[in-house]
Amino acid sequence: MSTDMQIDHPSPTGHGLSSYGPGRHRRVVRRFLRHRLAVGSLIFLLLMTFGAVAAPLIARSLGVDPFAVDLFNRFAPPGGASLLGTDEVGRDLFTRLLHGGRVSLAVGLTAAVFSAAIGTMIGLLAGFHGGRVDAILMRVTDGVIALPILPLLIVLAAVDLSKLGLTAESAGSETADLARLIAIIAAVGWPTVARLVRAETLSLKTRDYVTAARALGARPGRIMRRHILPNALAVVVVATTLSIGNIILLESVLSFLGLGIQPPTASWGNMLTNAQDLVWSEPHLAVWPGLMIFATVIAFNFLGDGLQDALDPKAGD
Amino acid sequence: MKLPASLAALLMLALVGLPTPADAASKERLVIGISQFPSTLHPSFDSMLAKSYVAGLARRPITAYDPDWNLTCLLCTGLPTYEDGTVTDETAEDGAPGMAVTYSLKPGMVWGDGTPITTADVAFAWRVGHDRETGFDAYELYRRIDRVEVHDDRRFTLHINKRTCDFQGLSDLNLLPAHIERPIFESGAPGDYRQRTAYQTDPTNPALWYGPYRVKDIVTGQRIVLERNPNWWGESPYFDEIVVRTIENTAALTANLRSGDIDMIAGELGIAIDQALAFEESFGEDFQILYNPGLFYEHLDVIQDHPALKERPVRQALIQAIDRQAISDRLFGGKQPVANSNVNPLDSVYYADLPKYAYDPEAAAAKLEEAGWTIGPDGVRTKNGERLSFTLMTTAGNKSREQVQQVLQAQWDAIGADVAIRNEPPRVFFEQTVSKRRFDGVALFAWLSAPESIPRTTLHSDQIPSEENSFIGQNYTGYANPEMDRILEGLETECAPETQARLWRELQTLYATDLPAIPLYFRANSYLLPKNLEGLTPTGHQFPSTLWVEEWRLAE
Amino acid sequence: MLSYTATRLLECLLVLLVMSFLVYGLIGLMPGDPIDLMISANPDFTAADAQRLKALYGLDRPLLERYGTWLWAALQGDFGYSRLYQQPVGDILLPRLGWTTVLLGTSLALTVMIAIPLGVWAAARPYSRVDYGINMICFAGISVPPFWLALILILLVAVPFQAIPAGGMGEAGAGLLERLRHLFLPVVTLTLASIGGFTRFMRGAMIQALRADHIRTARAKGLSRARILIGHALRHALLPLITVVALSFGTLFSGALITETMFSWSGMGRTIYEATLGNDYNLALVGLLTATGFTLAGNILADLLYAGLDPRISFQTASDGTGGGSTA
Repeated sequence: MSTDMQIDHPSPTGHGLSSYGPGRHRRVVRRFLRHRLAVGSLIFLLLMTFGAVAAPLIARSLGVDPFAVDLFNRFAPPGGASLLGTDEVGRDLFTRLLHGGRVSLAVGLTAAVFSAAIGTMIGLLAGFHGGRVDAILMRVTDGVIALPILPLLIVLAAVDLSKLGLTAESAGSETADLARLIAIIAAVGWPTVARLVRAETLSLKTRDYVTAARALGARPGRIMRRHILPNALAVVVVATTLSIGNIILLESVLSFLGLGIQPPTASWGNMLTNAQDLVWSEPHLAVWPGLMIFATVIAFNFLGDGLQDALDPKAGD
Repeated sequence: MKLPASLAALLMLALVGLPTPADAASKERLVIGISQFPSTLHPSFDSMLAKSYVAGLARRPITAYDPDWNLTCLLCTGLPTYEDGTVTDETAEDGAPGMAVTYSLKPGMVWGDGTPITTADVAFAWRVGHDRETGFDAYELYRRIDRVEVHDDRRFTLHINKRTCDFQGLSDLNLLPAHIERPIFESGAPGDYRQRTAYQTDPTNPALWYGPYRVKDIVTGQRIVLERNPNWWGESPYFDEIVVRTIENTAALTANLRSGDIDMIAGELGIAIDQALAFEESFGEDFQILYNPGLFYEHLDVIQDHPALKERPVRQALIQAIDRQAISDRLFGGKQPVANSNVNPLDSVYYADLPKYAYDPEAAAAKLEEAGWTIGPDGVRTKNGERLSFTLMTTAGNKSREQVQQVLQAQWDAIGADVAIRNEPPRVFFEQTVSKRRFDGVALFAWLSAPESIPRTTLHSDQIPSEENSFIGQNYTGYANPEMDRILEGLETECAPETQARLWRELQTLYATDLPAIPLYFRANSYLLPKNLEGLTPTGHQFPSTLWVEEWRLAE
Repeated sequence: MLSYTATRLLECLLVLLVMSFLVYGLIGLMPGDPIDLMISANPDFTAADAQRLKALYGLDRPLLERYGTWLWAALQGDFGYSRLYQQPVGDILLPRLGWTTVLLGTSLALTVMIAIPLGVWAAARPYSRVDYGINMICFAGISVPPFWLALILILLVAVPFQAIPAGGMGEAGAGLLERLRHLFLPVVTLTLASIGGFTRFMRGAMIQALRADHIRTARAKGLSRARILIGHALRHALLPLITVVALSFGTLFSGALITETMFSWSGMGRTIYEATLGNDYNLALVGLLTATGFTLAGNILADLLYAGLDPRISFQTASDGTGGGSTA
């Protein structure tokens, strides 16, 4: 799910990511630690998440209110309580960035987890049962993949929830905004994971221990839960990590189109969009949220990359 | 993070350190940037700013307001008056009081192909518009005209079935070239004339145009190229060619100006004032930047069914609690004058001594106390168990409004009002929420109306949209005051100048007292022009500056 | 092979049908309808006007019935008029399809031409400095919001260099040079945004190819590094790449909304966007369906290519979706 030219990077090494046997975890950790960019990214993301979660506390300790408007203090330079200065209505930029991170990260993580869950379920079912179930599920997956994602997202984002029976109040509230965004991203984001999980399941189900469990009369649900899912999780984790970055980008694009998170709630996407018109006189207002998006997305990509290498048994030790 | 840091540095460099383009505009060609593309070039369908801007170059209305806000004839020889007998009262066909209004077309006017412009074109335009199936925007105007009586090639009389005071002015009856359009109109059903018209199928036909310029080339969504009209009868324009380019993204629009891809940004349809101010701060020296306050009246529609907002003292307290002067000064560089009512100070009917409200939060609080609204335990005022709590809505994505909105929220919070912000995309906001009266508090948006126009559709009690009337009308607040209805009806029918002046005074006083809407400010248009462009006069009303394009030139 | 292709085509038609219904319904769920639009734009509208027009446009009938009418007309080749432009839908979409293809085709070609050598280079020395460097560039490109990338490029390139326009598509009937000048920035934007994906794919495919048995054999035989890389591994790695290119071929026709908006390029992305928000049912629907149709065709092409080029793959497995492993 990329945002403009819809080309993602399916990895041909995606098959057979997991390895089995004792000492696996230690080996994975060792290999991951060797991937310095990924480790750095992980640390950065943890810090970022901490900052986002603790945003209200940090704001309080700095003595600034990221939502307090001050017309007489617009575009203040960095200094004093405002670490990065103030924005176009005199709010503190630094704490708004942290608050924006809360929204952007929350949307990214939640939507990625939801689409991973849907994708895993569909991939498991299709791969395990095969036959007609597989054919139908995969045709649906192909269909979803063939959809022009961005235009469709626009249609979905513009749907009037009150026509679906919600009251105008709840349809327009901030939580509804967030929930809608997450729901539509998850609704179109799952096929990547579904395909990967299906391929993984196809190869796992021929393994000896699965055949053995089958022969012993284990029910399909149990086999999927106990034997296949844990071993397919590696691909899911990698794909999910990589997709978080894409979703954060997508949020910024939807903000750009006026369909994202509405003010005064801050998200990196709407902060960046707001700042683009002031780029001539106040470029820093655009540089900071732009940097946050860039750094976070790239960090998720590096992290996913590192995880993939660490979890791939074929990668050289 | 080496890469982004250096990227940022490069960006800064590009913004401040690099050479600026020289004057790119030349006598041969002027490139104008606007932010919207007209959906059609037919003058009578889809009225929109982009179209009237382009049309100003290539055609002219019969009458228009000039840059000094005086109604003038562009195609006629003089405005009709009772005094010289060009207006007479008569009884309409349906027996109602009507009137006959006579105009004469200027001599020597021709369409772009050389065919003379005659009363036949007027009569044909009326015939097309009078057919309700055609679906012209200004159908109401055509409906009011029972028939067009043609005396000769230049003189015609309109027989109008309603007697009103604002009979002067005929800007919405757009001439159509009968020799081109009549066969097309008659070749099928009026309902799909819109698709068959030559303005749609053959827009570069010179016969469709009669301004200083005519349309030479159109790339939909991109640009319209206009060239000199050799058959133009007026003063010859300075530029050989004018290109109107559409760039929807306003950040890209200013970037195009910087890069010299366009020579100017039109004030009528360009960038918001805060962007213009930001641009001026950095590059003011390279461009001529004009700010011109206009007819766009930014205000807060206050829904009258709300338990708290229905009380007049509450509305008065709300307006006193906001520092409109500071908003204008701090956010808009003082370029957007504070509004005291719905009538612009530039309008001839403006009444200067109407009640005004200065920023006075103490008085606002006192007024609320007096009305029984006392501070509750959570800091929000209550009265009889009802909280002073409402939503503040506007169009999502409009940054100026969103900024103002957040200031309003903060200032109302200070007097104990609990305000929730809820924004919607413009389409949802206007078509669903505002026009169907589904907002529960105040809605921030703008009205654009012609000078001296009577605000009947927004203030009369029979204009309140409801399920029963298919949501027709623009009195979105639900304001109903018999006194206001009386004034509005009087303005339409009692034409004596003294009476008119008195009624306009009463209207503005009542508006400012009752506050069906809270006036904020009049929006200013920002023109970003080449330093050496002369003669472009911003108008501030709905008639664009392009109607006087003959006066534009570059300083030698 | 013929029957396989026929089955796939049939499936595509089915998907398009389902899609048309879904989109029709979704647009129906969007706020307002064309009549609301007119009412809010025109103060003189009367209730009778509203009723009459609703009937005229058929908006007083239930959604399902309207869909049926639309579908019946569409099946007979009548896609109707665009409400926004008052022109037949085909007249609007065709030139835009062309513009979009020019823009995205150029950038796809450029992307592939850069991505192949970069990917090979990175795979030749995995986990080296070069590999990290290339990785860095790839990820940087896909980590910037596209509208922001476009704005930065306008500021950094179009503003200082007058020869490069900041937007637009050039004069009608302009020469090749004029066209290329206008293509430059949008193509660079799209290429920067998509090069990472292709390069990383290429790298992955190369690494996998290098692990294969016959490469080990070649290595054991003492063949030169370059010959192994180019002569053996690349040949195998190109196969999956071709299918990925075929897959992304479809997206060429759905356009690149953001890039088109920032550079005022009249392409499919912008058209669909405007039609959707402007309540232009006919245009939005046909636009979306066209884009979907081309993507589906791209998928089939990818599968056929994969199967056709690799003798080891039978059509059965190709249809199992292993061909290229596309993602949305």
